[in-house]
Amino acid sequence: MSKPTDLVQGTLDLLILRVIALEPMHGWAIAQRIRHVSNDELRVGQGSLYPALHKLEQQGWIEAEWAASENNRRAKYYTLTRAGRKALESETAQWERLAAAISLVVRRA
Amino acid sequence: MRWATKLRLRLRSLLQGDRVEAELDEELRFHLDRLTEEHVAAGLAPADARRAALREMGGLDQRKEECRDARGLALVDELRQDVRYALRGLRKSPGFTTVAILSLALGVGANTTIFTFVNAVLLRPLPYPGSDRLVILRERPPGAEGTVSVHPLNFLEWRARARSFEALALVQTPPLNVTGANGAEQIARVQTTAELFRVFGVGPARGRVFTPEEAQPGNHDVVILGHGFWQRWFGGDPAVVGRRLAVPEGSLTIIGVAPPGLRIGLMEADAYTPLPIDPAKPDSIGSRSFQCYGRLKPRVSVDAARAEMAVVASALARQYPMDEGYGVFVSGLHEYLVREGRPALRLLMAVVATVLVIACVNVAGLLMARGIRRRGELAVRASLGASRGRLVRQLIIESLVLSSLGGAAGLVLAYGGMLALVTLTAGALTVGSIEPIRLESTCLVFTLLVSTMTALVFGLLPAWQASRVEPQMALREGTRGGTADRRQHRMRSVLVVTEVAMAVVLLVGAGLLLRTFSRLVRVDLGFQQAGTITMGLFLGRRPPEARVALVDQILERVEAVPGVKAASTIQFLPLSGMSCGTGFWLEGQARGDASHALPTECSLVSRGYFAAMDVPILEGRPFDGRDRMGGPRVVIVNRSFARRYFPGGRVLGRRIIVVWSDEARAEIVGVVGDVRHNGLTSEPVPTVFLLHAQTPGYITTLVVRTAGDASAQAAAVRRAIHDVDPSQAVSAAKTMEQYVGDLLVRPRMYAALVAFFAVFAVILAAIGIYGLIAYVVTQRTHEIGIRLALGASRGDVFRAAFGPGARLTFLGLVLGIGAAWGLRGLVSTFLFGVTPGDPVSYVVAAAVFAVVAIAVAAIPAHRASRVEPTAALRYE
Repeated sequence: MSKPTDLVQGTLDLLILRVIALEPMHGWAIAQRIRHVSNDELRVGQGSLYPALHKLEQQGWIEAEWAASENNRRAKYYTLTRAGRKALESETAQWERLAAAISLVVRRA
Repeated sequence: MRWATKLRLRLRSLLQGDRVEAELDEELRFHLDRLTEEHVAAGLAPADARRAALREMGGLDQRKEECRDARGLALVDELRQDVRYALRGLRKSPGFTTVAILSLALGVGANTTIFTFVNAVLLRPLPYPGSDRLVILRERPPGAEGTVSVHPLNFLEWRARARSFEALALVQTPPLNVTGANGAEQIARVQTTAELFRVFGVGPARGRVFTPEEAQPGNHDVVILGHGFWQRWFGGDPAVVGRRLAVPEGSLTIIGVAPPGLRIGLMEADAYTPLPIDPAKPDSIGSRSFQCYGRLKPRVSVDAARAEMAVVASALARQYPMDEGYGVFVSGLHEYLVREGRPALRLLMAVVATVLVIACVNVAGLLMARGIRRRGELAVRASLGASRGRLVRQLIIESLVLSSLGGAAGLVLAYGGMLALVTLTAGALTVGSIEPIRLESTCLVFTLLVSTMTALVFGLLPAWQASRVEPQMALREGTRGGTADRRQHRMRSVLVVTEVAMAVVLLVGAGLLLRTFSRLVRVDLGFQQAGTITMGLFLGRRPPEARVALVDQILERVEAVPGVKAASTIQFLPLSGMSCGTGFWLEGQARGDASHALPTECSLVSRGYFAAMDVPILEGRPFDGRDRMGGPRVVIVNRSFARRYFPGGRVLGRRIIVVWSDEARAEIVGVVGDVRHNGLTSEPVPTVFLLHAQTPGYITTLVVRTAGDASAQAAAVRRAIHDVDPSQAVSAAKTMEQYVGDLLVRPRMYAALVAFFAVFAVILAAIGIYGLIAYVVTQRTHEIGIRLALGASRGDVFRAAFGPGARLTFLGLVLGIGAAWGLRGLVSTFLFGVTPGDPVSYVVAAAVFAVVAIAVAAIPAHRASRVEPTAALRYE
């Protein structure tokens, strides 16, 4: 399993924001979605997921609401706030610059 | 996100910690369950699936801790830890904790107590709409200090000319006699022009206020009831408007009820009646004996009004001889009402602030000693990786915990102190205050601020000192203080010298005020206060002859009461705060030439007044039965008058014309001793005594000299008055001793409070000296043992321990005496009969403190000299 430290610092935040930009999700579903979309490459551990969620909530980028889950249990659903949406845009742009820069270095150096 | 939402979330994490925890728990449990389900779906048995899931989660508690950290709770938790740790530390040294909390509680309590008064008297505005625009106007006589009441003519001129005011009202407060089911009663009345309610910005609670017509001359039998009187006399009858209020001469129609809490100046009136002024003859209602209140127009400052009135006054001075040299005094009403309370409250605030600083210095000293004892502990923590900031923070939190406990205890003390002061000082501290003294939210905020500030003041220095530990050094030195203590010791010495100096300043102040009080008690007032009883008589609307006859009959009856030695009347009693200023011409001077009128006070008395008050007749004769309305006019003057206007010459038989009262030529038939009419500290002024039987007044006060207990005779005197006229209202009896006592309330209170706080300051300073020396002795027990073993005498040891304390005390004394001398100007206004540099006060203060300090320093020094060398050498 990939450990959070394996992810580039701040990348997990970006992944979470990107994933819940589609629809409100609870923690479990966020982890699953990241896993599926990355073809099982990225597995987010609970040890980093939940602190990250709580930190993002404190920052005001996401907000939480309790609702019934698909199997009819109470689950905490996270949604992007307006500030979160803005943050997602800037984080995405930054990530793309960084990724492009890294691949440049990796290919040409 | 907006900061407000952020704040809300933070607060939620802090305040609803339990709910946040529960939600976190549920969220993680949900995840755990889903993980378990996944493993079950993959073919594991439920129990194994659960175990695997838990293993993958890596421990729920750890996850929770990480989430909490993410929520920024770490700081709060650390704080909570520090507070708990501080409390535990304080519990472990109960002696230190008790002394520290007690010192702080007394310091904070004293400050909060005095602040409740400052708040109620000086800070809270008057309870009327736009009360900052309320002003009082008075006249400023030429060549004299202070101000006098307003002349009705000037009031009319001011009202016509001045543009600064929305409204001006003229007021006089003669009592009103009313008759009810329970007999006659004299009530407090405000006689006023129609604008009064506009000036105060209030409307009637019921009915209406006076119309402008009712301020014109004529017989307006209307009255507005005071709110309290309406409740008391009419039981709060809602249909009281239109009913009639019975007075001896008939009755008045009730047209309205004033709103509750309305006070004209400081007076809460029972009734308001119109004050009609005849524009053609304004002085027909009196001369300079009215109060004038005004409401400034919006955006007009008091200064602007003052400037305008100065112009008006100089125009009037050119127009009317009686206004020559007169100015107009304009002041905000609130400022004017509290003018006497302000300096006293400022002085007390300064005194209690000093006490608080001493308490802080003391606690700082104690904390430093404690810091040295804990050096080992702090060094261990520092070497284990605690940063200096963390150590300072923890020490500061300890101080905050201390100061909070002290503040809480201080609040309790303040509440008790406030109640005690309200009762003990009988209003002497609340001069000019309209609202009651309460411990309200402003005061609580004040306490909180003061407590927190004290924590920083007394906590910062020791915390900074203690955190400067070099771990290796401190650990090597162990618990025995070595050379590194020198700086600490010097710092503590400075603190002790500071508190000694401040305590000495307070002691000197207390000494000056106590000596002032003892001088005041022994002041020769010029009359004998013992055995004299007084009560107010308002003679009402009777013709002059009837007023003379009534007083004659009352005096005859009262003199016949067994135990009464003499009875008489005077318009305004000495010490009652009322006087009547006027002028006179010597016979032969041009009459009506105001510039040649000589100023004099005037008193309107009945025959027998000087006997009743026991004022000595120095020359000539007192008034007697010969002096009647139709007979030759006679006056009596006091010694100051005779000395000033007839220096060295013949006084008896000289003729003068007194401006007041139809200005007839009168012969001086006697000279009497001086009386301090205006107060204990006022010098006697030239006074001329006129006779009620020749120029009868309306307001008068009965003065009865009795053999034995004066107050016991009050009922009999009252019966005698009602024998003459059952409808004659009489105000409550008061003895002259009570009048004198009232004047002593404030000086006594200043002296008592300052002395109380000074004693407290001395105790604190003594604790400081004791603590320092005792500490040094304990630290040096080992060294003392060695010295004794090497042959030092016990006397040497005693001197060595005692010497530093004595030196510090001496230094503090010198500084304190110097500071007191430097600050002596601050108390000068409160002194009487002693100069602010009064050597006795300084010497006594220094001596008292020296004795206390020597006694306190001798205890640990003596203990040092009793040390057993063998025990001391083992001591480690």
